[in-house]
Amino acid sequence: MKTSDLGLIFDFQRFSTHDGDGIRTVIFFKGCPLKCSWCQNPEGISPKQNLIFRKNKCIGCETCLNTCSNSSIIKENNNIKVVLDKTELSESLKLVGICPTNALVMDSMYYTLDEAMEKVLKDKPFFKYNGGVTLSGGEIFFQINFVIDLLKRLKEEGINTAIETSLFTSSDNLNKILPLVDTIFADFKIFDDVLHQQYTKVSNRLIKSNLELILSSEHKHKLIVRTPMIPDITTTAENIENISSYIFNLYNDVKYEILNYNPLAIAKYNLVEDLKFCFEKDNPSLYTKEEMQTFYNISEKVGIKNLIKSI
Amino acid sequence: MNSRINKLKEKMQTSKRYATIEQALIITKTYKENEDKPKIIKRALALKNSLEQIQIGIEDEELIVGNRTKGVRYGIIFPESGISWVDKEYETLPNRPQDKFNINEQDIKIFREEIVPYWKDKTLEDIIKNRNGKENDAIVKVVKINQKDHAQGHICPNVKSWLNEGIENIKQRTFNNLKDCQDVEQKNFYESVILTMEGAQSFIMRYHDLAVQKAAEAENPSIKQDLLKVATICKNLSKDAPTTFHEALQSVWFLFVILHMESNASSFSPGRMDQYLYPFYKNDIEKGILTPDEALELIECIWIKFNEIVYLRNSHSAKFFAGFPIGFNIAIGGIDEFGNDASNELSTLFLQAQNHLGLPQPNLSVRLHKNTPSDILVDSIKVVAKGSGMPQFFNDESIINSMIDLGISKKDARDYAIVGCVELTAQGNALGWSDAAMFNLNKALELTLNNGVCLLTGEQIGIDVGNITSFKTYEELEEAFKKQIDHFIDRMISACEVVEKAHMEVLPSPFLSSVIDDCIKKGKDVTAGGAVYNLSGIQMIQVANLVDSLVAIKKLVYDEGKIDKQDLLDALRQNFEGHIVLKNILLNKAPKYGNDIDWVDEIGVKWARYFRDAMDNYTNFRGGKYHTGMYTVSAHVPMGENVGASPDGRNAQEPLADGGMSPVYGRDVEGPTAVLKSVSKLDNYLTTNGGLLNMKFLPEFFSTETGINKFASFLRTFVDLEIPHIQFNVLNREDLLEAKKNPEQYQNLTVRVAGYTAYFVELDDKLQNEIIARTAYENI
Repeated sequence: MKTSDLGLIFDFQRFSTHDGDGIRTVIFFKGCPLKCSWCQNPEGISPKQNLIFRKNKCIGCETCLNTCSNSSIIKENNNIKVVLDKTELSESLKLVGICPTNALVMDSMYYTLDEAMEKVLKDKPFFKYNGGVTLSGGEIFFQINFVIDLLKRLKEEGINTAIETSLFTSSDNLNKILPLVDTIFADFKIFDDVLHQQYTKVSNRLIKSNLELILSSEHKHKLIVRTPMIPDITTTAENIENISSYIFNLYNDVKYEILNYNPLAIAKYNLVEDLKFCFEKDNPSLYTKEEMQTFYNISEKVGIKNLIKSI
Repeated sequence: MNSRINKLKEKMQTSKRYATIEQALIITKTYKENEDKPKIIKRALALKNSLEQIQIGIEDEELIVGNRTKGVRYGIIFPESGISWVDKEYETLPNRPQDKFNINEQDIKIFREEIVPYWKDKTLEDIIKNRNGKENDAIVKVVKINQKDHAQGHICPNVKSWLNEGIENIKQRTFNNLKDCQDVEQKNFYESVILTMEGAQSFIMRYHDLAVQKAAEAENPSIKQDLLKVATICKNLSKDAPTTFHEALQSVWFLFVILHMESNASSFSPGRMDQYLYPFYKNDIEKGILTPDEALELIECIWIKFNEIVYLRNSHSAKFFAGFPIGFNIAIGGIDEFGNDASNELSTLFLQAQNHLGLPQPNLSVRLHKNTPSDILVDSIKVVAKGSGMPQFFNDESIINSMIDLGISKKDARDYAIVGCVELTAQGNALGWSDAAMFNLNKALELTLNNGVCLLTGEQIGIDVGNITSFKTYEELEEAFKKQIDHFIDRMISACEVVEKAHMEVLPSPFLSSVIDDCIKKGKDVTAGGAVYNLSGIQMIQVANLVDSLVAIKKLVYDEGKIDKQDLLDALRQNFEGHIVLKNILLNKAPKYGNDIDWVDEIGVKWARYFRDAMDNYTNFRGGKYHTGMYTVSAHVPMGENVGASPDGRNAQEPLADGGMSPVYGRDVEGPTAVLKSVSKLDNYLTTNGGLLNMKFLPEFFSTETGINKFASFLRTFVDLEIPHIQFNVLNREDLLEAKKNPEQYQNLTVRVAGYTAYFVELDDKLQNEIIARTAYENI
C-alpha cells in the first residue's frame, strides 16, 4: 500500500461541539507547513509518526528499559528518560506495546480509508441532527490525496463535511476540495506579512490569494474566516480592522469569527520536543466578555455583517 | 419565584429534622386495644387513629396544607415494619455519617419502655429475620435482599380515579361490595378499606377546623383569606371529588400524605401529573378563575410539600440510598394512549417550577419520544443546565414496547410512569416490587475465579467450581460462572418469597389498595396480589465492571497469554500489592465498556441476557413475573465494599461503576456519543424494571443557545438509539470542592446520586469524593 493511501491521523475527536454545526467528529491530520508560536496542537506540526512519552503516567516499572535493545530509553537520576530521536519506528511500536501504563504511545496512527470511515461512521446516528465530520490538523492539505478520497466517501454517505485549514496550499488543491465540503473554516491570523512570517514562519501571500479565490467563487458562502485572539500578537486593533476590511471588500456578506484565546494549549507542549509555547512563562487568561465585545465592535465598524460571536 | 414561595421554601429548608415516635405510640396503643382483631383491621384502625390523633399544623401563607407530622421533614419511627434497628441505632441518629436526625432524649426512654417490648418478634423485620435471617446474611455479599424492614412503596396509585371519584364515593363503592360479600377475608378487607376512608375524612376535616381556627386568630387579612380558602377546600374534599385545579392539587397531596402514614415506605409516585391534572387546569382557565401564574404558584406550593416528607432509614440502608430520597416521581410529556404527543401547558409549568425551586423533590422525569416538541425538549435542557440534576429523561421508544413484551397491555404501557428513582411501572394498577433484590455479578465472578471463597474474608460463600487456574479455556470459565450465578439465583428467589409472604402477613395496606386497581374489585389487598400487574424486579450489579473484568481475562489471559493465570490469581488475592505492573496491564492493555467497541460491549449484553433469561424460570409470591433492571442508586459504593480486587484492575472494596448502565468512571475515554452507542447495545427487555445512565457535564456547555441546541441533538439521538434512561449532573469540580469546604454556603447545591437528587452537603465524605471523581467531559 502506498503511503498516500494511508492517512496519518493524530486524533479522532467524537462529540466535538466547537468545530461546526451539530455534533461532529473531528479528524486531526498530522503535519503543518506553519509553525505558529501559539500553536494549539503542537503535536500536529511534524509530518512524521513519533513516539511520545507522557511522563506523568510513568510508574517507573522499567519494563521499557529491560525490553529496549538500543539506547533510546535511559535512566537518569532515577528517572526514565526517552531519547526520542534515537527511536526507530519498529522499536517505538514495541515499546508502546509493552508499556503497562501507556506512558509510551505513538502520537499518531496510519489509517486506511476504510478504517477511517469505520471510526467516523460510529457516530452517524448523531450526525442526523445537523452534525457531521470536520477535517482538521495540522493542515489537511498536507495529506491532500487521502483527504479528497475521504471527503468523497463522506459525501457518498450523505454526511455534512467541514474543514479547518490555514489555506496555505496551491489553488489547484483548493479547487479540488471546494466542491466536496459544506463549510470551510479558514484561519487568517495576521494581516501584516512581516509579522505573519515572524510568528508563523510563512508568508501570508498564498493565504490571501486563496481567500480571494474562494470569495470570488460559487463557494464563497461556505467560508468562515477565523482569527484567534493571541495576546499582543494577533490581538491588535489594527490587525482585526485590517483583516475585517480586507475580507469585507472581497465579499460583503463574508462570515467572520473572532476566537477567544485558549490558555489550555500550554499543557500539550510537554509532549513535543523542540517546540516552546510563546507564553511559556506568563500564560495570559481568556479575554472577558467585555474585551471580546470591543474586538467585535472593531470588526463590525468596518462593515462585517456576519460576525460569529462565542458569547 | 414570589415572596410566598420564597418564605415557604426557606421555612422548609431551615426547620430541624427530628426522629419522632408520635405515630409509633398511637399504632402500639391501637394494637394493644385490638389484640383479637384480624391483622388487616388492626392496620386500618392504626391508620384511622393516627389520622384522627396525630398533631397537625398549618404554616402562614400555605396554599396546600397537610403533613404526616406537625414538624417538617421528620423521620418516622414505624413499629410494624421494624424497630430492632432503631433500638440499636437510636442514639447514633444525630451523628451518623449519612442522613442525620435530631432526637429527644425522653423519646428514647419511652421508646424502649413502651414500644420495643410490645413489638418484639411481631415486626416485619423480626419475622423475616427469624424465618430467614441466617440465609439472608449468608448470601448478602452476592445478593442483597431488600424490603426487609420497611413497607413496600415504589408504587403509583390511581390518582386519576381518586380525583374523579372523591372519598365518599370510594367508601360507598367499597360498602356496596361488602354488602354482598360472604368470604371472611374479603369482608375484612372491605371493612378495613372503609375504616381508612373514614380516617381520611376526619383527617381532612381536622385541617378544615384548624384553618378556621387560625383564620379567626389571624390579624393579617390576606393570611386570613388564604386560611378561609384552605378551609373551604378541605371541607369539600372531605366528602367530594375536587372541582378546581387548586382543590385537585390539595387532594393529590392529602392522598400522598395518607399513603405515607399508612406505610412508612419510600416512593409513592404521583406519576403522570400533567395528564390527570390537565382537565382541572383547562377548565379553570376557560372559566377564567385561574391564570397560568396562579397555577404556577400552586404548583410551587405542592413542590415544596413534596420536600417535607423524608424517609428515615437504617444506617446501612442510608448508605445505599443516601440523601433520604422519598421518591415523589412525576413523569411529564410522553405519548398518550393513541400514540400522540401528550405534553401540555402543565408540562411546561412543572418545568418552570423545577427551574425556580431547584429542590430535590419531586423527582421530575420527562418522557421523550420521536415527536417530543422542541420547546419541551429545550425547556427541559434549560432546567438540566441549572444543575439541580433534573429532569431525568425516559425514552418511550425503548420502554413501551419492552413493557408490552412483559405482558402489560398496550394502553397501560403507553401510560407508564416511574416510581422511586428510575423504576418503570404501569399507573394505578401495578405492584412492581421493583427493588426486590440486588444481584452482585462481580462478586459471583470473584467466587468463580477463587473456588467459591471470598477474597476479603477467606470464607467459603459460593460453590467451588474450581478457580481460574483450573479453567483451560475462556469457555470453561464461562460455564463455571453460569453455575455460580444459577446457584445464587435459586437462593435469591427463595429469600424473596419469604419477604413477600411476610409483607402480606404483617403489612396489608387497605388504604393503598383502595387506589390500586383491581384490589376493591377482587376484594384482595395489594400485598396479597390484588393489583392487575404483579412483578418483582431484580437489579443486575454492575455490568460495566463485569465486562471490563471478563474482557481483560479473555484478551490478556486466554487470547494473548500476556498474563499468567496463577499471577492473576495471586494478584487478586493480594489486592495487587506487589503486582502494580500487572494491575496496570489489566487497566491499560484491555479495552473497556463504554467506548463503542462491539465485541467488548457484547460481553455485557451476553451476561445480562443470561441473567434476565434465568428469571423466566420463576414466578413470584403474588403470581407475577420476575424481571430485571440496571440501576444502583448509590449502592455501587457499599456493593463495591463487598467485592475483592477484580480483574478489571479495581482494588478491593473500591466502588463499582455508578448508575447501572454507565461505564466505570474515567474509563469512557471516547466521549459521550461512544457511551450512548455502547449502552444502546443492551436490549430493552433487560431493563424493564428500570435502567440508569448517568453522565456529567460542565455548566459551560449550556451557556449558549448553540450548546443547548447541540444538547438537544444529543437527546434526539438518545431517543433514536432506544436507550431507556439518561440523567445529567451539571457542575464543575471547583464547585464541589468548595462545597465540601463551606457546606453552609452550598445548602442549595443538589446533585444526582444515580437516580435521584440529594443535597450535596448532606452526603457523606466518601460519596462526595466519589461524585467529584466521576468523569467530566472537559472538552465541552
